Amino acid sequence: MATSAADRAIAPPGPGFAPILKKALLSALVALGLFALMIGVRTETGSTGQLTYWTRFGELAAMVGAVFAGSIVIELLRRWIGPAGSRGIVPPRVTEALGAAGRWIAPALLVFALLVPVIFYQQRYILDLGILVLTYVMLGWGLNIVVGLAGLLDLGYVAFYAVGAYSYALLAQSGLPFPQPADTFPYISVDFLKLGPWAFWVLLPVSGLLAAFWGMILGFPVLRLRGDYLAIVTLAFGEIIRLVILNWQDLTGGPNGISGIPRPSLFGIPLTPGPNGLAATLGIPFSPTHRLVFLFYLILILALLTNWVAIRLRRLPIGRAWEAMREDEVACRALGINITATKLSAFSIGAMFGGFAGAFFATRQGFISPESFTFQESALVLAIVVLGGMGSQLGVALAALTMIGGFELFRGLDQYRMLVFGIVMVLLMIWRPRGLVGHRAPSVFLHGRTTIAADMVKEGRG
Amino acid sequence: MTMTSNAVAPPLLAIEGLRAAYGKIEALKGVDLDIAAGEIVALIGANGAGKSTLMMSIFGKPPARAGRILFDGRDITALPAHRIARLRIAQSPEGRRIFPRMSVAENLQMGADATPGTTAERAASLERVLTLFPRLGERMTQRGGTLSGGEQQMLAIGRALMSRPRLLLLDEPSLGLAPLITRQIFNAIRTLNQEDRLTVLIVEQNANHALRLAHRGYVMVNGLITMSGGGLELLQRPEIRAAYLEGGRHG
Repeated sequence: MATSAADRAIAPPGPGFAPILKKALLSALVALGLFALMIGVRTETGSTGQLTYWTRFGELAAMVGAVFAGSIVIELLRRWIGPAGSRGIVPPRVTEALGAAGRWIAPALLVFALLVPVIFYQQRYILDLGILVLTYVMLGWGLNIVVGLAGLLDLGYVAFYAVGAYSYALLAQSGLPFPQPADTFPYISVDFLKLGPWAFWVLLPVSGLLAAFWGMILGFPVLRLRGDYLAIVTLAFGEIIRLVILNWQDLTGGPNGISGIPRPSLFGIPLTPGPNGLAATLGIPFSPTHRLVFLFYLILILALLTNWVAIRLRRLPIGRAWEAMREDEVACRALGINITATKLSAFSIGAMFGGFAGAFFATRQGFISPESFTFQESALVLAIVVLGGMGSQLGVALAALTMIGGFELFRGLDQYRMLVFGIVMVLLMIWRPRGLVGHRAPSVFLHGRTTIAADMVKEGRG
Repeated sequence: MTMTSNAVAPPLLAIEGLRAAYGKIEALKGVDLDIAAGEIVALIGANGAGKSTLMMSIFGKPPARAGRILFDGRDITALPAHRIARLRIAQSPEGRRIFPRMSVAENLQMGADATPGTTAERAASLERVLTLFPRLGERMTQRGGTLSGGEQQMLAIGRALMSRPRLLLLDEPSLGLAPLITRQIFNAIRTLNQEDRLTVLIVEQNANHALRLAHRGYVMVNGLITMSGGGLELLQRPEIRAAYLEGGRHG
């Protein structure tokens, strides 16, 4: 027995069938123990309250048999594919081809995204779905700064999404407060400036800044927390924001939400059928699709802005500090990196993009309520980041596309949708534990690297 | 003893009656230690004596409960770590602690990021690091985590050197390394001291190597300095030989 196990350890694709059989038998035994009472014996309350029971050995045998056969199949598959994480899952030639394709995926996706409204102009459903996917791409890229780059596990990201959405909704309805001189004490009064068609463009940065502010507020108490503890506190923070929104009826309308949120305008030109609307201005017949196309490009630009900022920041000292902090906080302190500033900046910049996305969400829906900002949303965005490969921009985009798009694609499966979703996630994590794009591209090329590398490269750096 | 040299010039780093604790456990019970500019000072002692705590306390964590730390005459006791680093005190922490997923080049860049410096200065310090440890130059694009233990130690020291420090704090550079690699690293430290006049405080369990390298040494037991003197002089003392060199408690 011991020798066969040792053999297998030395030569991974072990020759014998015996270890597989042994493992399958063990699994079947465990299954028998587990299911003997759960399935083998069925109990019920009888008509007079007494216990009646009967045995179901047929079902029990079927379950144990299924486990036995399943275990053999899994082991055979594992031999055929090789252990997770090893090379050889994919032949090198395919890997090379994928690598070459990888360089084209991002530009191809971008071109495709730009063309979506042209190709699918007649299909409102696709446009709506595209907007939804892009919203999650943007949220994913925003959270990626916090989780992927800075390594701060944030389970309450949706809080900033909510702050952005409510900031926009509330300010767009009541206007921006401006202090005005007044004749009576206290000689200053507050005038609410209505923004009209420009509301979205003025309030978008305001919403982002408010979300960033709340990112800071969250950042301070969690400065000294790490890992699980940080996750719990951020989770609680997300719930606190949601519950405050839910219960502060006077301000937020509580569970009724806020409706009639102003729609965005194309730099002051509203997308309405009226005489000063975009259609009338351009002299074309009005169509509600115009707004969808506009929203699509709007969220595309916002998402690309998030991406661009994240990529730029990664190459600056602050971005490097985020990544270094993710790797080793103690080492960062030893190098004299200001941990406080690094953490707070990650939280607030990540939150800011969440706030932008929230403002977009509010203006797109025209109606928001606390139901849109549950923990499920946080979990979904986090899943996108983790599946995509923490820190990888392309991976996050692909994951958002697969998760949100795939979720819609399997709508026909009804209640089995979650099951398929779960299985796909488990499989992905087994075969790609670092996410879809687990590779991390270095961001620094020091001066003189080439000159030094050139004459010393002979010894090989592989 | 080297009292005379201390009396002439003020020390670069002076630690006076430093006390620090983790919760209720007092790790430093009033430590006095000074380092003159251009000196290599070794701090030796058994596991748990408080050597690493002293090293980290200079950087403010754990914070001093009593006593003072003066760098170049300036009180740095209560300064936050990033301000201390900006005064050009660099630290190579215990257990190397390089950034495993970042490339060697990025690791080195991180060392330079925290302190202000021009591009030319950074290029110069990079060149210095790479002449000192040519192996790092061969591996610039490799991820830090794929380096061998010795190379990681070189990277940790190189990273600390990137900020052009006036004082280098080295915590157990020989930890878990083969004797040959240890010798290479100690030679590099000697070179830095002789050619660049770099002041070094080195914490070591490897008393033999450390005291041979250092001008002066301190021995720490249970959070207190129990002995100090010239490196070779300490090495001759029978109690040192008994405790740290001939079997017994070292390592």
